Amino acid sequence: MDDIIWLTMRRLRTPLIVLILVYSFSVFILVQVPGQDAEGNPVQVGYLDAVYFVAIMATTIGFGEVPYAFTHLQRLYAFILLFPNVIAWLYSIGTIISLLVDPQFRAVMARSRFSKRVRGMRSSFYIVCGFGHTGKMIVSGLLKRGISAAVLEREQDIIHGMALDDQFAHLPALAGDVTDRRLLDIAGLSAGNRHCIGVIALTNDDHANLTIAITAKLLRPDLPVLARAETQRVVDNMASFGTDATVDPYTIFAQRLFLALSSPVKYLVQDWLISVPGSQLRTELDPPDGRWIVCGVGRFGTRMAAKLDEAGIPFTVIDVHPERVATWSDAVLGRGTEAVTLDEARVRDAVGLIAGTGDDMDNLSIVMTAREMNPRLFVVARQENPQNDELFDASNADLVARRSLIVARRILMLATTPLLPVFIDHMVHHDEAFANTAKHRLSSVLEGRSPGLWTMHLTGPWAQSLREAKSENVPVRMEHLTQNARTPAYESLPCVCLLLERGSSRIFLPGAEQKLIEGDTLLFAGRGSARDEMLFALREPTALVSVASGRPQPRGAIMRGLARRRVNAERRD
Amino acid sequence: MNFEKVVFGFFIVLALTLNFGFFIGDIDNPDHHHAMELGAALAVSLIATIMKFGDRSQMGAVLLATSLVADLQLLIACFIWAYAAYETEAGVTGEVLSSIVSVSGGALLANLVSVTLLVAETITIRR
Repeated sequence: MDDIIWLTMRRLRTPLIVLILVYSFSVFILVQVPGQDAEGNPVQVGYLDAVYFVAIMATTIGFGEVPYAFTHLQRLYAFILLFPNVIAWLYSIGTIISLLVDPQFRAVMARSRFSKRVRGMRSSFYIVCGFGHTGKMIVSGLLKRGISAAVLEREQDIIHGMALDDQFAHLPALAGDVTDRRLLDIAGLSAGNRHCIGVIALTNDDHANLTIAITAKLLRPDLPVLARAETQRVVDNMASFGTDATVDPYTIFAQRLFLALSSPVKYLVQDWLISVPGSQLRTELDPPDGRWIVCGVGRFGTRMAAKLDEAGIPFTVIDVHPERVATWSDAVLGRGTEAVTLDEARVRDAVGLIAGTGDDMDNLSIVMTAREMNPRLFVVARQENPQNDELFDASNADLVARRSLIVARRILMLATTPLLPVFIDHMVHHDEAFANTAKHRLSSVLEGRSPGLWTMHLTGPWAQSLREAKSENVPVRMEHLTQNARTPAYESLPCVCLLLERGSSRIFLPGAEQKLIEGDTLLFAGRGSARDEMLFALREPTALVSVASGRPQPRGAIMRGLARRRVNAERRD
Repeated sequence: MNFEKVVFGFFIVLALTLNFGFFIGDIDNPDHHHAMELGAALAVSLIATIMKFGDRSQMGAVLLATSLVADLQLLIACFIWAYAAYETEAGVTGEVLSSIVSVSGGALLANLVSVTLLVAETITIRR
């Protein structure tokens, strides 16, 4: 706001001075020139009339000559004064208008509006730097979960485009250098902003993400920073100063493939939990045993190859760069898009193929050529450009590594359900039986659609029912919480508790008999209205007690006292 | 020598001198206080205010404030004059004139502060 006033003042200085000089000079002249009234008596024009006349003359309004019709001499002077006045006036107005369309002025205006909107935010929000395809997915995911966002983006066009999208139109957004500390400051990083809950750096430039992460960590060490990073060097660098999570899409995908190869059940459960809620559940993947082919060993390919190595699976490498080919024992020089190269890599007796070059069209071509030569091939394709979604869907690849989708899913998971990575980590490193239990429990409630996930903190208003139950001496167990408290008949809610966190201890996949106490944090996966029903039961003072004790609990104090007495009497009998 | 500084100083000092010229004389004697002098004082004071626009220093802020005070006082004086001259039967009497002159005296004080600040700033720069 301050900037706007100062900028306006500075720009308008000359026109206003010119205007005042011309104006006061004109008034001075008009007062001096003698006039006459209707009867022909000589009169002098008064100051008030002169000021008024110059005003209506200069603005070309021209109400007429006041107070009496002018004499010829007065008209001559008015005629001479008319032009400088009109010019001075137009000059001032022209300066104001040119100021309004001035890019510098507009930038200051946009910044000030953005800052005001950020300060006006009354709910938790993330600062999202970079609003490309990934950014859009993440912000819309955050909005679905009731979290807002302040968007910073380098491209002005994208910010303009945002205003046309109903979903994002109300979000504060600003185009500018996302690595600029001052922009991050007004986006909510300043110490006074209590509603900012974290920073997400998603630009397609690793160095910019690094700068954002450092800035955020220095200015607000308490805020979590989630950053995208595509090279190992930057990942290590970010981790070194405490960035809370770095998201490297290629490593994440490589780990998932490793999981798919080594344990299909674990892969399946993880896939169910991280896919967009409500989408079709993936059925079991069955990657065959045998030799694989890796086309392209850049950032993506090397990570995949390393994981294949770790799983003890033999593979052949295809790459166009001779220096890369030289570092692998079983390697073929070539693009992989031609049958000759694929033949040389013995595609006909391979079981799997990874099309991992940096070019989408090359990857599609590799997939199609290879499938033609060996229809039973298990194909993994890498997709860089989000606009090629349909093409990759049509290619029938068994797995598609969509960079933006991988980043978006992972960041959403970290930002909205921080307990989920804990659960998945545990499952990945635990035995097959655990994953089987999880799969069994999930598939019994999901009905073919991927689950929604939610975290419950049993504190404050969400522990109302628990406190009530404690005062009535009724223990509350997991089975009571996962039961519909509104129906008298037993009806279990379609949800599974994945994780219970109590202080520093964690219980994975707690059973129905698990007792709940105030202060527990629970992670649920479920569908439909399960979450809302659960929230109802937790807030409604008598609902959970009624379910746990098996007797409908009266709500009034007197009736409750009587009911308690009856219970005690029954116990004595 | 900076031409901008010359213009700046010129208008600020001129605002003071014109204001002083109007103020000096018997407080209720119409012969000692001319309407044109008041008009000129107001015009120059407005220009001086605009000259002070856009200076973000502490000194600039105080200078702007004193100018705004002077403008306000002179505007009030002009309004009293216009009202008395056109809207009352008696016109500009000695009583009305003394209140106009005393209000412009307030503006004079503000202009004096403004010039003092300007001089003080100039001296600190010299040292």
